[in-house]
Amino acid sequence: MNKILAIIRREFMERVRRPVFWVMALLGPLLLGGLIGYQVLLAKGGKVKSIAVVDGTSNGLGQRLVDMFAKGETFRAVSVPMSSKVVDSLRNEVSQQRLDGFVVLPVTLAQDGKAEYEASNVSSLNATEALEGNLGRLVVLARLEASGVDPHLVDAAQIRVQLETKKIVGGEARSESSGQSFFLAYMMALLLFITILTYGVNVMSSVLEEKTNRVVEVLVSSVTPFQLLLGKVIGVGGVSFFQFFIWGVTGRFLLRQRAALMARAGTTAASSGFQLPHVSIDALVIFLSFFVGGFLLYSALFAAVGSMSSNEQEARQTQQPVVYLLMISYLSILGLTNDPNSTLSVVLSLFPFTSPIAMPVRWSAGNLSALDAGISLAILVATILGVTWVAARIYRVGILMTGKRPSPKELLKWIRTA
Amino acid sequence: MAAPAVQLDRITKRFAGHVAVDSLSLQVPSGSIFGLLGPNGAGKSTSIRMLMHIHIPDEGTVRLFGEDGKTGREQSSRIGYLPEERGLYPKMRVLDVLIFLAEMKGVDRRKARTLALQWLERLGLADWKMRKVNELSKGMQQKVQVISTLLHEPDLLVLDEPFSGLDPVNAQVLKDTVLDLRNKGKTILLSTHIMEQAEQLCDGVCIIARGKKLVDGPLAEVKRTHGGKHVHVTFDGASGDAERLFSDPRLVKKKESTGQYAELELAQGADAQDILKGLVTSGARLAKFELAEPSLNKIFVDLVGPEAATPHAVPEGAR
Repeated sequence: MNKILAIIRREFMERVRRPVFWVMALLGPLLLGGLIGYQVLLAKGGKVKSIAVVDGTSNGLGQRLVDMFAKGETFRAVSVPMSSKVVDSLRNEVSQQRLDGFVVLPVTLAQDGKAEYEASNVSSLNATEALEGNLGRLVVLARLEASGVDPHLVDAAQIRVQLETKKIVGGEARSESSGQSFFLAYMMALLLFITILTYGVNVMSSVLEEKTNRVVEVLVSSVTPFQLLLGKVIGVGGVSFFQFFIWGVTGRFLLRQRAALMARAGTTAASSGFQLPHVSIDALVIFLSFFVGGFLLYSALFAAVGSMSSNEQEARQTQQPVVYLLMISYLSILGLTNDPNSTLSVVLSLFPFTSPIAMPVRWSAGNLSALDAGISLAILVATILGVTWVAARIYRVGILMTGKRPSPKELLKWIRTA
Repeated sequence: MAAPAVQLDRITKRFAGHVAVDSLSLQVPSGSIFGLLGPNGAGKSTSIRMLMHIHIPDEGTVRLFGEDGKTGREQSSRIGYLPEERGLYPKMRVLDVLIFLAEMKGVDRRKARTLALQWLERLGLADWKMRKVNELSKGMQQKVQVISTLLHEPDLLVLDEPFSGLDPVNAQVLKDTVLDLRNKGKTILLSTHIMEQAEQLCDGVCIIARGKKLVDGPLAEVKRTHGGKHVHVTFDGASGDAERLFSDPRLVKKKESTGQYAELELAQGADAQDILKGLVTSGARLAKFELAEPSLNKIFVDLVGPEAATPHAVPEGAR
């Protein structure tokens, strides 16, 4: 027992002592935050676009569109009257990059609702949405006015609809935007994926290190391979928990300072329209139990990979199937959050190689019972036992082997005879 | 008399189609230095790994310290093992590596620390204790590894090719350490293919080739039974009738002569005194007439056969 403790301590201390651990532990949240911020920025479509509105209408709709844009944050526009050469000269302006684009409002706009938008970039969903929304309102206004409705009445009748989403948790409705829900689920999946991968690979390189520097011979003459593997997995796993702990502490600190930080950045929490989601105790418990399960499962696989390879390069090749297995769940995050109760989601959250990521995501995105989580966890635990049994056998033979990588047939023999 | 420290009883190990060790039996008396000798690929390391319970014998049994049913791993606190291929954790601090490896042998952490510091001091590495292993020279790393083998004060030391890669100074340090431990009653089993070293150190030897034992026993006995009787003759000018005398198969089994000097292996039942008499009566002038022991190297080469004497079979020893 003391020997296992010594192995755990070595694995833990040697990792925590390295500067790279602290770089990841302290910069990790910043990097992750930056990654998410970057994605939000991309979705927002970047800077304000300056465009021209070519007004071919007879009742000054162009100027009204310009005024509408002025209220939003997507476009800054000027209205120019329609003439025979204006489109060509505007095209020239766009190609000279003095203008981002222009909208052509034909005289028939109010009749058939057709307009044209030409720009250097037309793939921004955000810009297209703003254009379509504003033009739509404009056309409705024009048509109502044409039928003799008082413009003030039209203005008064218009109201912006705000949809408040509430999530039902245990029969109680809780205010939470879909953005928050998604954010939480996405964060969880990303954290699980990165951590399981990083620390699984850590177990692999630790196995490989002892194999290549031959310390393993001295070790297995004093402890059983299973003790060695167990100590290694617990030690490396402990580092990952320590890392979560640091992230949790720095995360809390940053949250407390959020208002101050945002004020410095020139925004307020309200104007950013972004609230952090509520993380409940049960979500945390689910997250941590499935993390432990996922880590144990994948580190057993990675340990087997490490033991059957004789160098870093070979291991990188051999680990591919394991990484792909883990990738499945990462690639399914969007599907899982969009529809947590689809057949695919259910299958993914039961299949033990994807459930460590899929189940916490479903839990935070949907409304699942403890039984759902329990069944999934039971399958995961059973698989861990089976996989560890096989992996430990490969490990036992593999750590002492040098030279050529075993063929699948040889692997089967190792498993049978070890 | 104490039970033999190591008793191997017909142990056999097969790897993918070839037999690495074939029914090897041997006994290492407690408190002695025992050499396991053989050319490369003879099965020395495999035998040692079976002894250490790293490989499990396909057949046969290993008994250590006379204890039945206890594997090398279960008695690892009493055994120090230096594997053939050396290696330590390159990124760990020297002191931490020593403490960790001692803990693997069941030594208490604090005691391990004290012992490690004493040994580092003794072998002149005290200044390096907080350095990482990969900052040390190869020779220093070897010393650290030797310390890790001895730190937990084992009763049995198993050293696989302990002298390979050591410079003469460090080799001498190791030899002195080994002799010192033997004098304290410890048992040392070492494998080597450098016969000169085995001859200087070992009380008993076992020569194996291709997985099979060729001979074993106390060094003096092996020399007596397998070396035959040897005579070295140096002439002082006239050699008289020496050539005819040396060619008599009833007297001489093998000879190597270079005019003024001859090495003879006597035939079974022949008496060296007959040769001396014959030489003197035939008028030879002798500078030296010596009854010599054969070298272990000669026994080894004779037993193992010519293929072991080729450079590729004994690269280290040939140097």
